[in-house]
Amino acid sequence: MITSVAELLITDGFITRADRESIEKLSATLGQAFIKVALNFGYISRKNYERSLINAGITLNEVREEEHDSEILSKIELKLANDHVALPLRVQDGKLITLMADPTDQLFIDFVRFTYDMEPEIIVASDLEITWMSHRLLGEKYVKSAVFELMHRDPANSARVTFTSKQLIFLFGLVGIICVGLVLNFKNTSITINVILSFFFLIAISFKLFLALVGSRFELHQAVTNQEVRDVVTEELPVYTIHLPVYKEDKLIKKLIWNLQSIDYPREQLDIKLLIEEDDDKTLNAVRNLDFPATFEVIVVPFHMPKTKPKACNYGLHFSRGKFLTIYDAEDIPDTDQLKKVVALFTKLPDHFICVQCSLNYFNRNENFLTRMFTLEYSYWFDYMLPGLDTLDIPIPLGGTSNHFKMENLIELGAWDPFNVTEDADLGVRAYAKGYKIAVVNSTTYEEANNEPFNWIRQRSRWIKGYMQTYLVHMRDPIALYRKIGLKGFLGFSFFIGATPITFLVYPLLLIIFLNYILFDLSTIRTLFPDWVLFMSIFNLMVGNILMIYVNMMAVFKRRFYELILFAVANPVYWMLHSVAAYKGLYQLIVNPFYWEKTNHGLSKMSSPVNVVK
Amino acid sequence: MIKRSTLLLLITVLLGAYYLVLGIYFNKLGYYNAEALFYIEKSKIVFEGLGNRLKVMGLTAPIIPFYSTFIFTGINYLLAPVIASAIGTAILFYLISSTLLKKVKDNFYLVLLVVLFLFHPGMLYTATAGKSIYLVLAFFYLFFLNILKFYRSNTTYHVSIASMCLVTLTFCDYRFIWLTLFFIPLVLSITLKSLNLGEKESIFRLFLSFNNPSLRRKLISKTFALYIIIFILPIASIVCYKLLNLTHANDLNYFIESPYATWNVLVDKINFDEITSSTTYKIPDSAVLLSLKMIMYSPLILLALYMYRQNTYQALTLLTPFAFVEFLRLKYDKIYIAHEFYLIFLVLALLCIIFRLESFKDKKTLKILMGVGMAIQIFTGFYFLNRSPIADEQKFMAMLRKPTENNDQEQNQDIANYINALPDNTLIMTDDAIAYPIVAFVNNIQKLVMPYQDKFLTTIETPRGYVSYILVASTSNRAKGYTQLNNTYFNFMRNNDPGMLVQKVYETPDWELYRIK
Repeated sequence: MITSVAELLITDGFITRADRESIEKLSATLGQAFIKVALNFGYISRKNYERSLINAGITLNEVREEEHDSEILSKIELKLANDHVALPLRVQDGKLITLMADPTDQLFIDFVRFTYDMEPEIIVASDLEITWMSHRLLGEKYVKSAVFELMHRDPANSARVTFTSKQLIFLFGLVGIICVGLVLNFKNTSITINVILSFFFLIAISFKLFLALVGSRFELHQAVTNQEVRDVVTEELPVYTIHLPVYKEDKLIKKLIWNLQSIDYPREQLDIKLLIEEDDDKTLNAVRNLDFPATFEVIVVPFHMPKTKPKACNYGLHFSRGKFLTIYDAEDIPDTDQLKKVVALFTKLPDHFICVQCSLNYFNRNENFLTRMFTLEYSYWFDYMLPGLDTLDIPIPLGGTSNHFKMENLIELGAWDPFNVTEDADLGVRAYAKGYKIAVVNSTTYEEANNEPFNWIRQRSRWIKGYMQTYLVHMRDPIALYRKIGLKGFLGFSFFIGATPITFLVYPLLLIIFLNYILFDLSTIRTLFPDWVLFMSIFNLMVGNILMIYVNMMAVFKRRFYELILFAVANPVYWMLHSVAAYKGLYQLIVNPFYWEKTNHGLSKMSSPVNVVK
Repeated sequence: MIKRSTLLLLITVLLGAYYLVLGIYFNKLGYYNAEALFYIEKSKIVFEGLGNRLKVMGLTAPIIPFYSTFIFTGINYLLAPVIASAIGTAILFYLISSTLLKKVKDNFYLVLLVVLFLFHPGMLYTATAGKSIYLVLAFFYLFFLNILKFYRSNTTYHVSIASMCLVTLTFCDYRFIWLTLFFIPLVLSITLKSLNLGEKESIFRLFLSFNNPSLRRKLISKTFALYIIIFILPIASIVCYKLLNLTHANDLNYFIESPYATWNVLVDKINFDEITSSTTYKIPDSAVLLSLKMIMYSPLILLALYMYRQNTYQALTLLTPFAFVEFLRLKYDKIYIAHEFYLIFLVLALLCIIFRLESFKDKKTLKILMGVGMAIQIFTGFYFLNRSPIADEQKFMAMLRKPTENNDQEQNQDIANYINALPDNTLIMTDDAIAYPIVAFVNNIQKLVMPYQDKFLTTIETPRGYVSYILVASTSNRAKGYTQLNNTYFNFMRNNDPGMLVQKVYETPDWELYRIK
């Protein structure tokens, strides 16, 4: 009979006495079981823990099929079960069947005796299995909150309703007017539509160029200098939560641990949550099979529709304890000093800055055509557009990852909208509408660029659908939005969030007219559109294309990715892919608005430790 | 005490007023030049014409000076180019002076600049002639300003702004597209400098870079990238513009080769023919000598070169325009180098000196050098403009030296007055390829049937029934070979339609106006 798991681990040589002291200290501070701290803060691997238990004659049981009694479960809080990796299930033979990862956790045993007034019958199981069981059996309240909190608290900002009645009336009214116009006067209506679309295209792209120029003006500006990072006092750093929402990312777990270990931040001040969906056994097994220590805590998100990343993050929020919070994808490689930089920046910024967005870029940029184009796009987006928006004080559509929040303000905003598939962009606008600001910091997270066309289209269709959702949500009452974010913000929002999907939807139409006109000299087009319309359309299309190509060139030039500069010329081809994704997104917006198109990661054969800050 | 920025604004406004007064005065005395008249005529077509005005609006070149004249046509068609150039030159002064004020506190240099803009004949020509030189100089200045800023900051922002300025410059004068050729060594030099090598000497850096595969790849890709980032935009813009020309005029080079699209096709040809065949034959510019002439015109460029003697690529930047004008001389061998290309050296010299003023230790010597240099430049300005082989420039100098009544446009105005006196429903067939100076003075251009209108082709085949008058270039008209409406073709028309009876109703040495009976 063992008396203490800690002693067992020391005896087996898996931890030292000093480690034990540190774990116990941290365990007392956090109110978590010794074994939970040991496993989640990188002191011991799960394999070694299992070895120790086996050495002591204890085997880990499969517990998923164990029966449970709701009456028994109602007496325990999920957070307690989660903190102690233990769960009472049912009464059997006068004893309380209790799952425990550490059968020597006296505190929990006492809790059982006190609460249920009986002795526990302990079934030792893997901490991950108990976590899975705890969240599945006790997490309903939290998952409901994750899904419906924003909808109940702030229904106007929830994407639960995709089209409001007014929007539908407007859209169908517009379609009706166009149809009537085409019937009554086909030629003039076509000319009007052509002129509006082509000017819209040019204005949207000119606006992007303008933003890029504004952004590029400050390219030497460093929001946080290296010296400021060095001046950060490690002992005073706050607890930092990192959310890692994953779904079937089993191949990336080892890489993820490596990347997390590279982060320059005190281990005990990190609160890393690996958010795994209930049905994602692949990832859970990958974590279980790790034979080296992990530095994250697994949170199992119980099944509930919609199965989206924001829902997982909202769920994880209930168990997070950081002052600041950020999200990374499993394959992300953040700059090692990123968290310190953000802390330093938050210290400098006024209180109403509640979020800091880092740049995103790709480590596998030279893998194929798609990754090169993706790199061009991201370079201009994060290096020019976002700083441009930031300078002009226009709402910033946050990037999918590496946005760092002040936890209390994030909760105040209602966190992420689980019904919105670009919850980050939506959150950025909501923050601005509430008078908060977002800053941009000179730190980069390297991600894996999508290197497979169908996977790319899936991901992009989700993004474009999300932009449509976000635009529809915030344009339910355009006057109210205008009052909240001002003219500049309103125009910025319209041209950035609203115009992006429309540009991609319109682009192939303009291109088809252009190609027919230029290559096939289609006489119908000449008959339909007078010379001045064709002149203007061709001018707008060509200038628009050139400007966008140029903006992309500027961005890779700034990043010193010189080998990519010519690929910018291929942008019109790349936009055709965008258009395919945009039409797919539009279709999904109508038939399946909350469906989360999963992007497969880990397809890249390249890896590069580019995050090391020299 | 007035703030320096307010003072600068005040000087700019006064300078603009000075240019306006001078320009309007010259204009009232009868000074016009081909370029200004061309813009006036095209503006009239755009605003008052009937027919395919889109082609005129979109394909008239150089397009930016043409559009900037547009803005002022509401005030007065004839004065619009002068107003545009006067205000534009004042803005050019503001641009240069504001760079100066940011760099130095001493007002001495500002005074020198004011003196230059007040008295330099080249500047007066720029400001009062109604030509596009002011735009060329302004965007040339901004292009090089941003290039120099890029050398310091190494930011994409400055290099992309420079590129945009070059686009604008190209649309102010197409010939500046050739500037792109002469930046190749410069760009290579910039890249070479930016490589992280222990060796300091450029030639050894080059040797090292070329003999190491990794460095060589880096050098080439960076050079190429920098070149692309500066020049892709102007080159692509020109390609697109040519494409528009192709789709709307069936000719890629319509904007640079058609006398309906640009003013200098005929003017340059006639000017060159005249000079090379007259008794006062002038030798075309020759290699090297041309560069020497530029240095003589703007000796301050030597001071600028001296100041940049330690910086390879800044010095190369200064030398690039020399190569550019030498190339122009070869490429356009039947054209004399216009004054605008002399003035770019003056602007470049000013820019480079302003950039290095602070680093020059002996301020007193510098002031003396600058003062003397400016005085010489004003003198050489007079000298070169006075001896210019280009007719427009000679006429301007004549006007500047002795502002008296100028009768150059008298016969065009006479014909225009005759047309103005005709009833409003009269239609006159006119070919504005050479008759644009007359059209510029016509009050109601709806009386004129011109090639931009679809009906012109029918009209020229069978004038009878479509128009009641035909304006024909006389045999003494120097441009008679460049129009269909000359005596040769007119006789052919008459032979073709024996029933068409015509009567000469008005005649000047260059023009004949026939009425169809």
